[in-house]
Amino acid sequence: MKGSRGVVAAALAVALVALVVYPVFGTGYGVRSTLQVFMWIALAGSWNLISGLTGYVSFGHVAFYGAGAYTGAILVTSAGWSWPVAALAGGAAAGVLALLIGYPCLRLKGPYFAIAMLGLNEVLRALVSYFEGLTGGGNGLSLPTADVTRPIYYVMGLLALAVTAGTYLIITSRFGLRLMTIREDEIAAEAMGIDTFHHKLVAFLLSAVGPGIAGALTARDQGYIEPISVFPLAITVTMIVMVLFGGKGTVWGPVMGAVALFVIQELVWAHYPYVHPLLFGAIIVAVVLLMPRGVLGLLQLKYRLPRTI
Amino acid sequence: MTVAITPEMIGQVVISGVLSGALYAMVALGLALIFGVMRVINIAHGSLLMLGAYVTYFLYSQTGMNPFLTVPIAMAALFVVGVVLQRTLVFRVVDAPELSSLLLTFGISIALVNLAQNAFTSDLRAVEYITGSWLVGGLALSKPRVIAFAFAAAVTALAFLFLKSTRLGKAIRATSQSREVAMVCGVNVARIHLLTFGLASALAAGGGALLAVIVAIQPEMGGVWTFKSFLVIVLGGAGNYPGALLGGLLLGLVEQLASLFLTTQLSEVVAYVLLVLVLLVRPAGLLGGRQT
Repeated sequence: MKGSRGVVAAALAVALVALVVYPVFGTGYGVRSTLQVFMWIALAGSWNLISGLTGYVSFGHVAFYGAGAYTGAILVTSAGWSWPVAALAGGAAAGVLALLIGYPCLRLKGPYFAIAMLGLNEVLRALVSYFEGLTGGGNGLSLPTADVTRPIYYVMGLLALAVTAGTYLIITSRFGLRLMTIREDEIAAEAMGIDTFHHKLVAFLLSAVGPGIAGALTARDQGYIEPISVFPLAITVTMIVMVLFGGKGTVWGPVMGAVALFVIQELVWAHYPYVHPLLFGAIIVAVVLLMPRGVLGLLQLKYRLPRTI
Repeated sequence: MTVAITPEMIGQVVISGVLSGALYAMVALGLALIFGVMRVINIAHGSLLMLGAYVTYFLYSQTGMNPFLTVPIAMAALFVVGVVLQRTLVFRVVDAPELSSLLLTFGISIALVNLAQNAFTSDLRAVEYITGSWLVGGLALSKPRVIAFAFAAAVTALAFLFLKSTRLGKAIRATSQSREVAMVCGVNVARIHLLTFGLASALAAGGGALLAVIVAIQPEMGGVWTFKSFLVIVLGGAGNYPGALLGGLLLGLVEQLASLFLTTQLSEVVAYVLLVLVLLVRPAGLLGGRQT
């Protein structure tokens, strides 16, 4: 076991170095695609923190992405903030939104939270259209031009790393164990003295910050946002599919799912855009019924891998 | 925003609220039934409503049938779809953790919407069968909405009558109170689950069929209906079937009032704030908990 651990660590180090030097010689397309993989790792990993660990399904995680995108974009265009600070502010805004929604909805057990999240992105979209003066409404918001794809590559990479490392730290901590206890049996968790409401709220807060930052970074990178581009249900669906496919409640499941589905999406499904959501719906149904623990769960069973991967 | 609000406007708002409230109540009753009997929140409820709307649209545009007469056909068709969904997929997650049933029905919903987009395109479609309004004592009553209200009220009344007085209806209510005791009393629970899902899908389809006459339809119309139906059952108290009536009327009124004092653009925001407030103040619903 010790030896294989060294191999894994060495492989991770090599991968890390390769990703760090990649923008120096990579093509524009390659850098941009890798940047997107980073974003999906961050988004999927964040969704996993609330839904994979506590079992509370968030059907509206794109709301945090969009809230971060608009916060970041408005601060850059109207207040002239530099984009890294605006990205942090995007994460903070998403966190505040998570507290606002989580406080009433996570006090209760059951499906209330899931449904409240289902409506959230529509609400934010309506608000963005309503406050036209600030957000540009349906016309969208253009950011001043700047070629920052490479710096954003590194920041997005750091974000993906932070979300994944954070997940590892949580899963191996007492806090993570308590979250998983809530997932398995919330009433038992309460009986054991776990303050379930505050644990769920903290997990939800943590899961919102990453998408907020990712949204603000993407807004800066693309230079233009509009309500339909930052609040589509499709982004939530993709996050969910990635985590379910890779293995929910694990550290590496969301990473595997994000990389695998992004590659498949680029290579195969881009040619069949019309049936893309149908496939995603079918994958969700199939994974829930046939392999609820995802690919990583199957590997864990087959090769006796540790629980904390 | 400085327009004076007259008593006529209030009257108009109350009437409009009641008219749309009956539709909300009918659709939400379906969601409440599935939740009450199986403890499953069917995220695909709105997608089934959308399919019902398309049944009416195509029957009307292809055969020229009176769209109000297509309501029972849409309901029957979606009853079958509901039974098939329950028989093939949903029954597998009835006793699974909530996460499984939520995700499964979410997956079904995405697949159904995308199938509809491919089969029917995303174009807006409208059934222009009857337009205009009746003027009654200074109030304008939109004709399609009044007829849709009458249908929704009748179907909802029939559904309650069925639940209240037939043997099958009693079996449904018994299963929703306690599955084990119902089973001991000889109720075939698996069959009741099939029937419940079919009935709920039919109620959603009826709502969709009536909506098709009132507004333009498109494949993504259902999402907001899943949300609003849930809001209605939260307002009325989850598992409390008569509560769905009260919840539906209340949601209709609140939305219309909001469009009078604010703007229609924000009506979804108002519904959302309403949900959050109820969860904060009275999570068991206005009528309290389960009284099936």
